[in-house]
Amino acid sequence: MSTEVPFKISIPDTQLELLRKKLDLVTFPDELEDAGSRYGVPLADIKRLVARWKDGFDWRVEEAKLNEEMPQFTRDIEVSDGHGTLNVHYVHKRSEVDGAIPLLFVHGWPGSFIESRKILPLLTESSRDGDFPSFHVVALSLPGFGFSEAPKKSGFTPDYHAEVGHKLMLSLGYNEYVTQGGDWGYVITRKIAMKYGGTHSKAWHTNMSMGFPPLNPLSHPILFLQWMLTPYSEPEKAGFTRWKQFQKEENGYYILQCNKPQTVGYALADSPVGLLGWIYEGLVNWTDEYPWTDDEVLTWISIYLFSRAGPTASFRIYYEAQHSKDSGFISLTGGNPKIPMGVSRFPKDMVVAPMSWIKTTGNLVFAGDHTSVGTNKGGGHFAAYERPEALVEDLRNMFRRGGPAFGVTSKKGGYFDK
Amino acid sequence: MSSIETPFKISVPDSDLDLLQKKLSLATFPNELENSGWRYGVPLADVKRLVARWSEGYDWRAEEAKLNEELPQFTRDIEVSGGHGRMNIHYVHKRSEVENAIPLLFVHGWPGSFIEVRKILPLLVQASPDGKFPSFHVVAFSLPGYGFSEAPKKPGFLASHYAEIGNKLMLALGYNEYVTQGGDWGALITRKIAQIYGGKHSKAWHTNMPFGVPPTLTSQPLTYLSHLFLPYTASEKLGFARSAEFQKEGTGYFLEQSTQPQTLGYSLTDSPVGLLAWIYEKLVNWTDGYPWEDDEVLTWVSIYYFSLGGPTASARIYYEVYHSSDGSTSPTRLKNKPTIPLGVSMFPKELVVPPKSWTTASGNLVFAAQHTSGGHFAAHEKPELLVGDLRK
Repeated sequence: MSTEVPFKISIPDTQLELLRKKLDLVTFPDELEDAGSRYGVPLADIKRLVARWKDGFDWRVEEAKLNEEMPQFTRDIEVSDGHGTLNVHYVHKRSEVDGAIPLLFVHGWPGSFIESRKILPLLTESSRDGDFPSFHVVALSLPGFGFSEAPKKSGFTPDYHAEVGHKLMLSLGYNEYVTQGGDWGYVITRKIAMKYGGTHSKAWHTNMSMGFPPLNPLSHPILFLQWMLTPYSEPEKAGFTRWKQFQKEENGYYILQCNKPQTVGYALADSPVGLLGWIYEGLVNWTDEYPWTDDEVLTWISIYLFSRAGPTASFRIYYEAQHSKDSGFISLTGGNPKIPMGVSRFPKDMVVAPMSWIKTTGNLVFAGDHTSVGTNKGGGHFAAYERPEALVEDLRNMFRRGGPAFGVTSKKGGYFDK
Repeated sequence: MSSIETPFKISVPDSDLDLLQKKLSLATFPNELENSGWRYGVPLADVKRLVARWSEGYDWRAEEAKLNEELPQFTRDIEVSGGHGRMNIHYVHKRSEVENAIPLLFVHGWPGSFIEVRKILPLLVQASPDGKFPSFHVVAFSLPGYGFSEAPKKPGFLASHYAEIGNKLMLALGYNEYVTQGGDWGALITRKIAQIYGGKHSKAWHTNMPFGVPPTLTSQPLTYLSHLFLPYTASEKLGFARSAEFQKEGTGYFLEQSTQPQTLGYSLTDSPVGLLAWIYEKLVNWTDGYPWEDDEVLTWVSIYYFSLGGPTASARIYYEVYHSSDGSTSPTRLKNKPTIPLGVSMFPKELVVPPKSWTTASGNLVFAAQHTSGGHFAAHEKPELLVGDLRK
């Protein structure tokens, strides 16, 4: 592996200038009377965000903050099966606790490395009194996202994203590590757990609760009984309703990106306003009334707009997964990872599987449940960003002394030497 | 009822043409995977070539003049029920010199427009010297939200409202009795016309995109039995494969337009390049090797780009129908079979290609023609074949 190169985001002036020119020429659609958000993102929201983008939003300030808060690097990673060498961008911050637990954080779509922003200081924080374990954190930009190179050949399925994440950890000297992920990060960290679990990946945690009902009494006899006898809780029922709603009304982007990522990609590469609308829809619909500030939204969109490979590259993971042997987002056939698994459930994610279903997907040792909390407190799809303290608390509880996954990576288990 | 007819000529303002050129000059293209062909969507080389032509060489004013020359156009106000109010509707109207020719209403779909009547218009109105074939008076309107018709302002503009406009337009033109021809949304809308106004005003309907429903023992016993025991023909099997391919790889646009047309619309309205790719993909994938010329494509796309309602308005029909009882998931969708005579023309590269025997579910089938070439845009791809069928 090649060596690590320190990296600071520094978008060329020409790109900022081009953005300005496009925003000056922006054409808005009309909107039906009283449309609300039924037909998509409301026009007033887009107009307000564009006005801020043209006047007031300061990318250089946001860029500086990101560089300040998140130590970033790039390095080359060799990927198998002819995908060649990809230059991968990542955040890497070590705790002052030498024996801290190496943790790989894997984002999804439309997320990015920025989702590690708030949990980074909390995870690396140390406790002199040994109240909680500490982590060394690595948060990569998936190939085709953020400032990582994009794959050049077709067939770059989540399996290869997993390979990149794993090799990155090894190259940083983390022979043993744990992972945290949601959205595509869930899929990818599950693959890491399957392929590299035991020898390298020692435990995995996700905030995306997925699963299928344990329908086969022979394969999961106890679970099956539990499932038959236990009624679904109110939050679980709400989760079913949400999932149905999502499939019926919000799944268009998903199918489209699975079918024809390039076709929709022309519009989203060429129109910053279009890209803003496309991503903003998810930021609002998938969160638990998170109080996005306009600048927060614009920073999030800018990472896509200014990404190394352009926004279109980020859609291709949908196509690749759909056309792979997994035939979609996740395939739960083919066995489960054996390493310890932790799940944190948040009420406003688009899927909130019942615990009995989640247990069929892996070796569940830890479950954090935030689903009973009221709205605007519970959290949604972007857990690390919406509920950083809750997520970190769950991770600490999973890996603490006396916890179900204590010491998986080293004897010190994330604490100072005593 | 409606106000008087006003002659119309397409005349896009210079400022619109200028803005288009400014946007094209700033075009930002995505990259592309090696050897990706058409698998991920429209190839980059195609889009770049079309954009280059659009920026230089393509002459909208010349195309505009041709359209105005070939297609006599008008506008008039039509009152629409359900609180939708008075809408200004753009349409093509050409009478045959045969005085008692058959009035025919042509209804387009997406991503089509009134331009789809261009090639069949002279053939339909043509007089037969020996009375060998019938002639037609042709009316082709721009659906609200398309071309140069006003767009709906309120939610809930349903298939029945489009049908209402079609019927009222024909009546306003003095055509108390008429027939219809439609594909894509035109198929649904003309079916509605047949259901609601059939018998009294609409006397027969023809579609190149028939609905097919698998037979059940109770609905179509003989067809069901043959479905069980007799093998399907080679062309029927190809039809199944074509339909399956569409279901698997081609419905993303449909779901997005049916659920979040406004979100999608921000990019299609703001980026002519994006709109071009969005529409061009269908022009290629939905046709049977039709040899599109670049200028042809650009004219087609320009009608969307310069449309009165903007491109976003054209996507909303998907949302409205999806959320109505006409939606494809609605159990009542195929109720109320129209009783007036139905003719279908079937083309192999249509999106969903049912066996002929399945199409009797959609209406009172009296005529069916199956062709060995042609796709979704039958009137544009195979005008002689379509007109031949209508004449029969």
